[in-house]
Amino acid sequence: MKARRIVVTSGKGGVGKTTTTANLGAALAQGGKRVILVDADIGLRNLDLVLGVEKRIVFDLVEVVEGRCQLRQALVRDKRFGENLAILPAAQTRDKTAVSEEQFAGIVRGLAEMCDYVIIDSPAGIEHGFRNAVAGAAEAIVVTTPEVSAIRDADRVIAKLQDRKLPMRLIVNRVRPEMVRAGEMMSVDDVCDILSAELLGIVPDDPEVIDTTNRGIPLVLDPTQRLGAIYIKIARRLEGEIIPFTQLGGGGFFSRLFEALRAG
Amino acid sequence: METQRLAAESVEAAPLPEAPQAPAAQADSQPKTRGRAIVVTSGKGGVGKTTTTANVGIALAARGARVVLIDADVGLRNLDLVLGLESRVRYHLLDVLEGRAELDDALIRDKRVPTLWLLAAAQNREKDDVETAAVQALIERLREAYDYVIVDSPAGIEMGFKNAIAGADEAIVVCTPEVAAVRDVDRVVGLLGNRVDVKLVVNRIRPALVRKGKMLSVDDVNSILRLPLLGVLGDAPDVIVATNRGEPVALDENAPIGAAYRAIAARIAGEDVPAPAAPDEPAGFLEKLGSLFGGRR
Repeated sequence: MKARRIVVTSGKGGVGKTTTTANLGAALAQGGKRVILVDADIGLRNLDLVLGVEKRIVFDLVEVVEGRCQLRQALVRDKRFGENLAILPAAQTRDKTAVSEEQFAGIVRGLAEMCDYVIIDSPAGIEHGFRNAVAGAAEAIVVTTPEVSAIRDADRVIAKLQDRKLPMRLIVNRVRPEMVRAGEMMSVDDVCDILSAELLGIVPDDPEVIDTTNRGIPLVLDPTQRLGAIYIKIARRLEGEIIPFTQLGGGGFFSRLFEALRAG
Repeated sequence: METQRLAAESVEAAPLPEAPQAPAAQADSQPKTRGRAIVVTSGKGGVGKTTTTANVGIALAARGARVVLIDADVGLRNLDLVLGLESRVRYHLLDVLEGRAELDDALIRDKRVPTLWLLAAAQNREKDDVETAAVQALIERLREAYDYVIVDSPAGIEMGFKNAIAGADEAIVVCTPEVAAVRDVDRVVGLLGNRVDVKLVVNRIRPALVRKGKMLSVDDVNSILRLPLLGVLGDAPDVIVATNRGEPVALDENAPIGAAYRAIAARIAGEDVPAPAAPDEPAGFLEKLGSLFGGRR
C-alpha cells in the first residue's frame, strides 16, 4: 500500500474535524500530492458541503460496500485541484452500522492504491462510526479546542488510539490569543501538557471561516483567508518538514486546574 | 443561495405548524403535575447542546421548578464539567440502570440552585451498554417526582442518540448558522418524527457578520428548518469562560447571554417573553428578532 492513511478525529463534535480534513487535504493537493478524502460520517455527511461538491455526488461509500458501484466511480473529484483531490462521500440516508470495520478498512486499503494520502473524516463520538473511521488508518490527527470539555473528550479518544497503537499528533483549533493572554483560555502549551501529545498545528479562531465553509471554498483557495497559510504549514509538517510554531499566548494556570479536575 | 441548495434536501423535515401532542401527555389518568421530558439534540456536535442543557436547566430550576438533567453521552460525558459538579460524581446512569446504585444516591444536587439535580453519564462504558427501554422507564419514573427531565443527547444519530430521545416527548434542537449544522438538524428532525414536539434554538449568531452577509441569519436557518423558534443566542466568549469554570452563565445577572437563557427557560415554562435585550446590538437586529418571535409565537 503506497498512501499514508490518516484519520482525523476528536471525540467531541464541532471542534473542526471536517474543516481540518478538507483544508489539510486541499493544502496537500495544492502542493502536488494526490489526496482522497473519506467522509466516515454516514447519515450526517458534511465533508461534501465543506468542499462544495454536494451536487455532484452520484454514489456513496455504502453503495461501494454493497457492490452497487466500483470504488473509483464513487469518487467525486474537486476540479479546482485538477486530478489531485477527490472525496468518497458518506451515505446520507443510512446509518453507521451499514458498514463494518472490516469493510471500511477494505475501502481505505483500496483507496490507498490510488493516491498519496487517504484522509478519513471521523464522526463525533466513540461509537460504531468512530471505530469504522479508525479501522483503516495507520496514523491519526486529533483535533481539539482549548476547552475543558473538548480536552476531556480528546483524552478519551487518545487512549482509544493508543489501544490500537495508532501514532497520533494534535491540532489545537480555535485558539483566541487575546483570551489566552487574559487567562480566560488555555494556552496551546497547556493543552499539549494535559494530553501529552505531539503538536502538529495551531489554528486561531476566525469567525469568517464559517462563511468560507458555508460557501464550500477551501481556505487555501481564498486569498483573503489568513488561515490558508496555516493549513499549508500543517501539510508541510505532515510531509516531514520542520516548521516552528507561532505561539499564541502562554499560561500554566489552566494546566494546573485541569490536573485538579482529573484527580477529582 | 446557500439555503436553496439545502432546501432541496429537506424532504425529511416534517413541517410542524402545530406541535402534535405526545401520546403520553394525552393519557388523562396522569396527574397534571407529571413532569415534562425534553431532549436537547442537534445531530452535529459542538453546536451547544450541553451548554444549552446546563443553562436552560439551571434557569428553570432558578424559577423554582424541580429539574433533573441527564447526561446521555456515555463515554464522553461533559455536563458535569459545564455545571461544575465533576468532583461530586459518585454514581452514574449505568450504575442506576444496572442496579448498583439507588437513583437518589446517583442524583447530584446543585448547591447554588437546590432544585437542580444531575444524573451523570458513565465515562468508562460504551453507549451500546445502555438499554433503551431502561432509559425510558427511568425517565418515566423521574417525571413522577420532577417538573422537568432534560436529557443532553450526544452528537450523531447512533445508539447514544436513540437512547437519549427514547423517553422524551419534547425536543430542543440546537443549530448554529452553518450549512453543515442546518443539514444535520434537518436529518435529526426527520428522525424525531411526529411523536416529538420540536422547537429550535439558534446558537452563536454574530449579528455583525449577518449584516455583512457573511453568516446565515436566523431567518435563513429557519427558512429551511421551519420550526417554532424557542430562542436565539449570540456568540459570546463569556460562555467558553463560564464552561471552563463550571459556572453556568444563566446565573450571571450581568451577562446578556445569561438573560437570553433565562428567557428561553421562561418560554419553556409558558411565558410569552419578547426577544432578549442585547445592549451591544443595533436596533435593526433586535427589531428583526422581535418580529421573528412575534410572528411565530
